[in-house]
This record gives sequence, C-alpha cells and structure tokens, in this order.
Amino acid sequence: MLEHLGEELTLRFPIGGTEIAFNLVVMAVAVAVAGGLVLLSLWIRRGLSPDPDAPLSRRAALVAAAIDFFRDQLLGGVSPQLGERLLPLVATLFLYVLLCNWIGILPIPYIVSPTQDLNVALGLALLVYGSTHYYGIRTKGVRRHVAGYFEPFPFLMPLNILGDFGRTLSHGFRLFGNILGGALLAAVTPVVVLRIADLIPGVGRALGWVGQVPLAVGLNLVFGLFFGGIQALVFALLAAAYIQVTAD
Amino acid sequence: MELEAVVQAAKYLAAGICMGIGAIGAALGEGMIGAHALDAMARQPEMANTLLRTMVIADAIAETTGIYSLVVAIVLLFVV
Repeated sequence: MLEHLGEELTLRFPIGGTEIAFNLVVMAVAVAVAGGLVLLSLWIRRGLSPDPDAPLSRRAALVAAAIDFFRDQLLGGVSPQLGERLLPLVATLFLYVLLCNWIGILPIPYIVSPTQDLNVALGLALLVYGSTHYYGIRTKGVRRHVAGYFEPFPFLMPLNILGDFGRTLSHGFRLFGNILGGALLAAVTPVVVLRIADLIPGVGRALGWVGQVPLAVGLNLVFGLFFGGIQALVFALLAAAYIQVTAD
Repeated sequence: MELEAVVQAAKYLAAGICMGIGAIGAALGEGMIGAHALDAMARQPEMANTLLRTMVIADAIAETTGIYSLVVAIVLLFVV
C-alpha cells in the first residue's frame, strides 16, 4: 500500500562515470511555485495605485499587513538599516518556503513538497550562505569581513569556517527533515491504523476505511499547514539571524 | 537468504533505536526552552513577542540533533 512512496519520475544522465539524477517532479513543482509567486505579485501590483493619496484598496491593505508582519516577526531582531535591505530577500524566502511546504498537501499523485527533497532545501540554505557573505562585504567591506574570521584568535580560523559550514548544513537539513518526516508520518499512519483496525472482527475493515479519512485530513492539516508554516518562519528567521551575525 | 533477513531486521532495529534515542535530547531541550520562555512571558507579558521569536529560533537549534537522527533513520530505512 505504500509502494508509491519510493516512486519518482527521474531523469538520469551518466556524466563522467557518476550518474546524475534529476527529479523532474520536484523541479517542475519548484519552478511552478516560483512562477505562482511571480503571478501573485503581478496581480497584487495591478491593484496598487501609483498615487499615494488614493484611498486604500484591499490589495494595498493586504500588502501593508504583510510588510508589517515581515518587519515585526522576521526582522524584529535586526538593526533597522540592515532590516530594510534584508526585507525583500527574507520575505521572498519565507513566502517561497511556505508555498513549497503547503503545496505538498494537495491530494494529487506525484505532487510533493519540493522542500522534502534535500537538493531544494540545501540549495536554499546555500543561497542564504552566499548572501551572508554578500551582506557582510556590503556592510563591512572585504577587509573587515575577512578579518572577522580571524576573531577572537587567529588560530581559530578553521573552526570559524567549519562552523559556517555546519550551520548551513543544519539549516538545510532542518527544513528537509521536518517536511519529509511530516509527509512520511502523514502517509504511513493511516495505513498502520487501517491494518490495526483489520484485526477487529466484523466491523474492523469498514471502521478502518471510515476512520482513515478524518485521520488523513487531520494529519495533513497538522503536518502540512501548521508545521509547514512554522518551518517556513524558522527558515526565514534563521536566515535573517545568520546574515545579521555576519554583517554586524 | 538467512543473512538477508538478518540485515533487514538490523536495519529496522537500527532505525528505531536511532530515532528513539536521538529524540530524547531534542525533546528535553525544547521542553526546557518552552518552560523558561513561558516563565519569562508570565513575568513580563509585554516582552511576549520578542520572547516568542527568540524561543522559535532556540527551538529550531535544539531540534537540530533530532533532525540529524531522523535523517539517519530515513537513510537506514530507504537508502541502505
């Protein structure tokens, strides 16, 4: 009953002795989510009036509320000047990860959250790692940014670099593990419950099939919507925290 | 054939032990963080927003080792 879990539409290329696999579903869904975000922002932008004195439209109110949320919740711990520059990056990361987590609960075969693929999660973490250097150099200059790695003592430099590496790795693994674990649990639990219900003689089978529906819906709500939202928040918060640590 | 079955059994056992023991530390850590954050919020309710944000970050960091053991368990189950 769980055979579909390992099923993937994969394209394999042998390059130089190693085989490189492309998971087509994950790639398509990841690009589709990005495209959906672009369309959404274009649609919202059409509702905004260029005249600042115009009466507030509903889309403008939505944008204002969202920006307020990002400023208070995601960038509350960051200094105001850096926060203004970080806002587009962190808000985009949050929305992208959020939509990626949420798209997995659609009951369509083959559609899974792109973030439950390690490549997407680690790719996002590497993007954050790259932007720590970008913002560090932009704020402090190359000299002081590099000098930051030799603090507090020069011989601790390898440890600082290793720390960066481990931080990025755990940033990616955290998102990947949480989303994949939630998806696996939501897929496995109804099957296990069905098998247990089968042991009851007579009504067991019918009871299992009926009970499976609210169970699957509830698990998907908890793991997909709630934990997906929390993990997107954590991912964006940590991205802001990492960049702030490097840039200060 | 015999060996195959032993390897299968060892795989499932290893995944279960890995996840079970690995979850202890993360659970204890998150419990402590939550308890202390609640203490602080009860003492200073006006700080609740800042504390909540810091608590979520600390939770995520305490969870890291648990996530590592989850990844190892998943690798044991589906990849090895």
